[in-house]
Amino acid sequence: MTKLSILLRVIILTIVAALFIIPIYFTFSVSISSKARINEGAIIPDLYIGHWIEITGGFGYWRTGIINSVIISLICMALALVISLPAGYVFTRIKFLADKHLFFWFLTNRMAPPVVFAIPYLMIWRGLKIWDTHGGLILAYMVFEIPITIWIIASFLAVIPREIDEAAYIDGYSTFRLFVKIILPLLRPAIGVAMFFAWLFAWTDMFFASVLTSVNAKTLPAQLLTALGKVGWGVEYGPAAAAGFVTLIPGVTLLYWIRRYILRGFVLGRL
Amino acid sequence: MRNMRFQVWLLFPALAVTAFVGIFPIFSLINYALQTPFAIENRFIGLDYFRVMFRDYRVVDAVVRNLTFAAICLAIEIPLGLGLAYLLRSPGKINAVISALIALPTLFPPVTIGMMWLLMTRSNGPIGIIFNSVMGLFGGIYDPFRDSLHAFGTVVLMDVWHWTGLIFLVSLAALSGMDETYILSARTEGATRWQIFRYTEFPQLIFPLTFVSLLRLIDTLKVFDEVYILTGGGPGLSTEFITQYIRTLGIEQWNIGYASAISLVYLYIVVVLCWLMITALTKGRGLIE
Repeated sequence: MTKLSILLRVIILTIVAALFIIPIYFTFSVSISSKARINEGAIIPDLYIGHWIEITGGFGYWRTGIINSVIISLICMALALVISLPAGYVFTRIKFLADKHLFFWFLTNRMAPPVVFAIPYLMIWRGLKIWDTHGGLILAYMVFEIPITIWIIASFLAVIPREIDEAAYIDGYSTFRLFVKIILPLLRPAIGVAMFFAWLFAWTDMFFASVLTSVNAKTLPAQLLTALGKVGWGVEYGPAAAAGFVTLIPGVTLLYWIRRYILRGFVLGRL
Repeated sequence: MRNMRFQVWLLFPALAVTAFVGIFPIFSLINYALQTPFAIENRFIGLDYFRVMFRDYRVVDAVVRNLTFAAICLAIEIPLGLGLAYLLRSPGKINAVISALIALPTLFPPVTIGMMWLLMTRSNGPIGIIFNSVMGLFGGIYDPFRDSLHAFGTVVLMDVWHWTGLIFLVSLAALSGMDETYILSARTEGATRWQIFRYTEFPQLIFPLTFVSLLRLIDTLKVFDEVYILTGGGPGLSTEFITQYIRTLGIEQWNIGYASAISLVYLYIVVVLCWLMITALTKGRGLIE
């Protein structure tokens, strides 16, 4: 490589890195600026911590949202995993009537636009009296999370050779023992990726949360919508920026941790 | 094997939950779409909504606008993602860090991304300052909250920022999994860089790129959160997309029947695109073998 092309490369990469860092920095900067500084632009913060105090304490509005988001996303993750692990196993190991069609149907649920489900959910959830409860929101998220986790697990399971199962059966293992002793340890990376994407969906979703909750089970993204939606009321940018930054933290932290598997999860999990 | 019949029952929990949250609502949608539910007078109106829909200018405009948006986004994101993948394909610490940075926005909640862009595009935010000074040279003012063209452009830029990472990651995976022998033999035959790309690399990239384009197409058809936060569909209707119109109809105006009818058509289109996408992903082999 010539010197010029190396220089060009460095310049392009610096610009690219800046483009992705600046918005994150700016959000943080707004969250630690006082109201007057935000109105001036807040590119350099004045280290005002009032917004962070407000979202972690205050009247408890934002704090409830943070707690709800954490609880709901973690329960969703665990539930989706428990339901999908056996299902993923069945899809990759056993041929049964219309198995491919069933698998495709699971995936189309994931691809379906949330708005399509949100309207009937609103009616049904109200009828069942699970509207604005944690359980109701978790149940609604299952429509997307089960397909994601099944697909991630099935795609990892498909490359584990079937001969391992047969050898275990010959050695007298039961299906349950085979699953716990052999399949689960081999699936550890898949479980990590599936857990991350199941968690990510519930953590980032705003649509279902804004339609299916109002006070008790409202999650952080839905609260952000409410806070930013007051057009003409003079939006409080400071607390919103702090709360928004909270929603970014897990992604930033976990990115490094699961970097090795992220691509697989992205391509499959985003589907 | 003897216990296979028992094993199929392992599927039961997933099937039961997904049937409740996946099939039940679709039947209620069909039910709602054929009548005027939750209105003062509930009557059966058959397929009237489906007839009205294709003449409703807001539906037609939202669909056209959504498809334009998808086409512009894909036309920017695919070359950009592929280019970045070529730039960052060699291993190394700096490349790994920058790759992670590019992928980062895909992990963020769309609503937060909308908020970040709302903060940045105010006239004293970083984007506002830069765009205003650039456009000031030509005597223009950057105002995404009043000028519909600026609003649309800003929404496209936001989508590019949000989703180029996904295309970048897929291209990177395709490039690193590429069969190098063709490229080496093409190079020894004296092919130019463009010829190598066109005749040896591109054929190997076409399936992953088709897959990811369809994936992004479906995603852009679903776009709502960030656009709603940034522009609220405005100014006027210039950034109102399908999801937002259905939401306005169903959740805000309580016109459940009409919203359900549009939803059903919309869902059908997405399922067809999904089928195409899976065919591209598996090269027509089927998902589970």
